[in-house]
Amino acid sequence: MIGFLILSLFLGIVVVAFASIIQKKLADSIILFMGVGLGSVVLFFIFNAPDVALTEAVIGAGISSLIFLMALKHLKAES
Amino acid sequence: MSGFTLSAVFVLTLLKLLLENIPQSMHRAGDSLLELNSTDGVANGVTTVVVYFRGFDTLGEIAVLFIASLGIGLMLSQNKRCTIKAQSNFMLHTAAKLLFPIITLYGIYVMVYGHLSPGGGFQGGVIIASGVLLLLVSHRDFEVPHSFIVALETFAGVCYVLIGLIGLFTLDVFLGNFLPHDISQMGLLMSGGIIPIIYIIVGIKVGSEMSMIAQNLIKRGDDV
Repeated sequence: MIGFLILSLFLGIVVVAFASIIQKKLADSIILFMGVGLGSVVLFFIFNAPDVALTEAVIGAGISSLIFLMALKHLKAES
Repeated sequence: MSGFTLSAVFVLTLLKLLLENIPQSMHRAGDSLLELNSTDGVANGVTTVVVYFRGFDTLGEIAVLFIASLGIGLMLSQNKRCTIKAQSNFMLHTAAKLLFPIITLYGIYVMVYGHLSPGGGFQGGVIIASGVLLLLVSHRDFEVPHSFIVALETFAGVCYVLIGLIGLFTLDVFLGNFLPHDISQMGLLMSGGIIPIIYIIVGIKVGSEMSMIAQNLIKRGDDV
């Protein structure tokens, strides 16, 4: 049962990552990138790595996506 | 389309190799370090590895983060201020004020209990920085004073190196654990000698650097 869950999580992460690179709008792909981070948090937690899960939740899904969004804002102001 | 075919063949080959060569007994990379872990009286083995066995590398990581913050500060000009034009709505305004102390408290908890439970300086510092980021987004005229961040960051960096040098002079090892770290104290808040102190210092430094990055990105305009 847990193996099936892990496998479906893996597949979900791959699908979301692929969806994030084929988006036309950059903002959408940043949102989907946050989804990749969220899936990895659950995976790290299942694989007994709560330290890495906490780091990924804070940095991968939180701060880095916000930095991407801010960089996008600066890019739009430039063009 | 040929790129997709190539990458599919590559992935299939890798999968075949991985499935054929499953090792019979797993020997994890950090096993020998984790056996040494209990000698320092720290309950969380990851913290011992990150802060004590690999303490010099952590100093380097903090330096990398400092250089990243420096680069962002250089890229965005000081003079041209880029303020958020739209006033944030009432709900965000109030909720940010309500949530900021709770986020900061949680960040400090993760930082201080880094040697007992999952978490530590990096995570706690970034949690505090995300609270600052929430205030920066919701309040137009909020800004952390630059001198305050510089003072915190300098203090943390100097303390890290000083503790390492004290260890070097007393125990002949850089970042040697010169404070009492008895195994019987394991699991208490006051345990592990210098390890919790160093992780709190790392948290202060990471928090101030990430706050600086967020503030530069939000409040400053482009040079061009």
